[in-house]
Amino acid sequence: MAPLKNLETEYPIIDSTFRKFCASHGIFSVEDFLIHDLYMLAAFVEQDISSERLKEGITQVLSIIDDMHQPWWNGMELLEDAKRNKHVLPTGIQGIDLLLGGGIHIGQLTELVGPSSSGKTQVCLQTASNVASNHMVLYIDTSNSFSPERIAYFLGKTIDVASAQAKNQIVQKVMSNILCHSVFDIFAMFDVLHQLESHLRYQDGGGCQMRLLIVDSISLLISPVLGSSSTQGRALMLSAGYLLKKLAHQHNLAVLCSHFKTPIHGFWEGCKICDLGPALTG
Amino acid sequence: MGSHAKSWLLEHETAREMLERVQAERPFLLLPPLHRVPIRVGNVVELAGPSSSSKTHILIQAAITCILPKQWNGVSYGGLGHSAMFIDLDCRFDISRFSELLNHRIMEAGSSSKVGCHKMESEAQFARMEHYNEELFALCMKRFLYTRCYDSSEFLATLKTLHYRLQKERQAHGLNVHLLLIDSIGAFHWLDRGSSSFSLEGDNRKSWHLQNVSEAVVQEIRRLLLVHPMLVMATKAVALGNKYSTNELTRSYGKWPAADNQYSRNVTSTDQKLPYREYMPAVWQSFVTHRILVRDTDDDSVNDEHPNNSVFLLEWLMPPVNSLDKFTVTNTGVFILS
Repeated sequence: MAPLKNLETEYPIIDSTFRKFCASHGIFSVEDFLIHDLYMLAAFVEQDISSERLKEGITQVLSIIDDMHQPWWNGMELLEDAKRNKHVLPTGIQGIDLLLGGGIHIGQLTELVGPSSSGKTQVCLQTASNVASNHMVLYIDTSNSFSPERIAYFLGKTIDVASAQAKNQIVQKVMSNILCHSVFDIFAMFDVLHQLESHLRYQDGGGCQMRLLIVDSISLLISPVLGSSSTQGRALMLSAGYLLKKLAHQHNLAVLCSHFKTPIHGFWEGCKICDLGPALTG
Repeated sequence: MGSHAKSWLLEHETAREMLERVQAERPFLLLPPLHRVPIRVGNVVELAGPSSSSKTHILIQAAITCILPKQWNGVSYGGLGHSAMFIDLDCRFDISRFSELLNHRIMEAGSSSKVGCHKMESEAQFARMEHYNEELFALCMKRFLYTRCYDSSEFLATLKTLHYRLQKERQAHGLNVHLLLIDSIGAFHWLDRGSSSFSLEGDNRKSWHLQNVSEAVVQEIRRLLLVHPMLVMATKAVALGNKYSTNELTRSYGKWPAADNQYSRNVTSTDQKLPYREYMPAVWQSFVTHRILVRDTDDDSVNDEHPNNSVFLLEWLMPPVNSLDKFTVTNTGVFILS
């Protein structure tokens, strides 16, 4: 929570008299304004000597607050954005593409749930290889299960070129579109995601765009921090979820997370859940 | 002085006139499947239920009814013709599904009225009908306002600046917002609980924890309702199965003194056992005027007309209604079964 003093250079109305007035009401940063009653504050301003300047200060703070939230869209604008940006990425696995209506959706968080050894990593690898032909893929690997050989195998099956050399070239090119990061705790994942966010924000938009983010598997990062008594673990899990949803929506990524058990009820909202057990085994 | 005092006693309107006026300005809304209890502008309705129990769908249904006009081009749509605002705290709203449902409602109303009058004979008539439908669709979609919030500070920032935005909308487009939908209200509950361990300097500084954030949210919505009367509908995700009585609420209410006593009502009135564990702070619970519980059932026997669609049960907790409503969700919206 940055102190109000930092705003003075950009907004000279937030001078020391304004800050002193705010401090007398226990407001030291912009976030404090959010939990205070601004109308009551305006009423106090009326009683003060320099009420005009203070009122301007409060109006300025309100316009700063207006920049702090997501923009309002109307239905037509949302629909336009969905049609233009939020396409579907086919995974290459027929059954799953059928279940999900074409593939995994950009702008949404898709979760693969299943017991161990039900093929979740294979689905992630196959999806990565399928999408990497056209877009960049970020693969966050938490269990050392990323296998370039497997990806090359999947690619080998789909590429229909005569010469081995040309095939090799294509495989190399597609593989270079997949970036793999190994993370072993949730804070390292936050680090990677924040770096990704700043990279995507300043990307110029040319060339191969990143369209897929795979986290395999997210339960290995979350279960160590989740304990029954502490609330920090759940808060971390929710923050991770919201960061992924934000990346998906604002930067037009499809996010695919694999999860070890059935999701903990009520905390992992916001995804299409695809239970692999029956699809793969039965 | 005598005449001045007498003027206090002169009646402004009779009770009947007042009732008529209030019913015209703030009519009762009967939105299926919430048709058992009439709700009106100024009420705060809470829809509780486990995940995937069609809560968001009920909100979407209400939004569509709100944005459709009562009548347009001779066809009656039975809507309210006002704007609806949707604050998405779960961040999983699907606009394509929303537009599908809106389109279905428009076409259903259009076709049912045309069948009564005359059959559609020429291609030109069909094309004109399509054009009207598209125009209406665009008109309605522009009345639907959406934003999403990724944490409590964004939510509070949205609420604080909502008054000015609504004023601007009213001046620019003449739009009046009638419905405020929040999905879901408990989304940042654990995030705010987790951040309460910050200790901040400053004597009278309010720290950013759950109680203060909830109080600020309720206060902002209350203030907004004073100036822009709307119906507030919020969903809340709960886990069914834990039976905790609401006596727990009254005990914890004593621990946190409410900032503005004249606004908070007593919670002691409801002593019923809730079928789920209540986690929202008391300040929100006393703000809610109507409470509904929705859940999924495995009952397929009633579902002859609509196979492959889940049946949901709706129960009114506040005010308590003795019957349960069954409904199912189809492509055209919510369909009441019993």
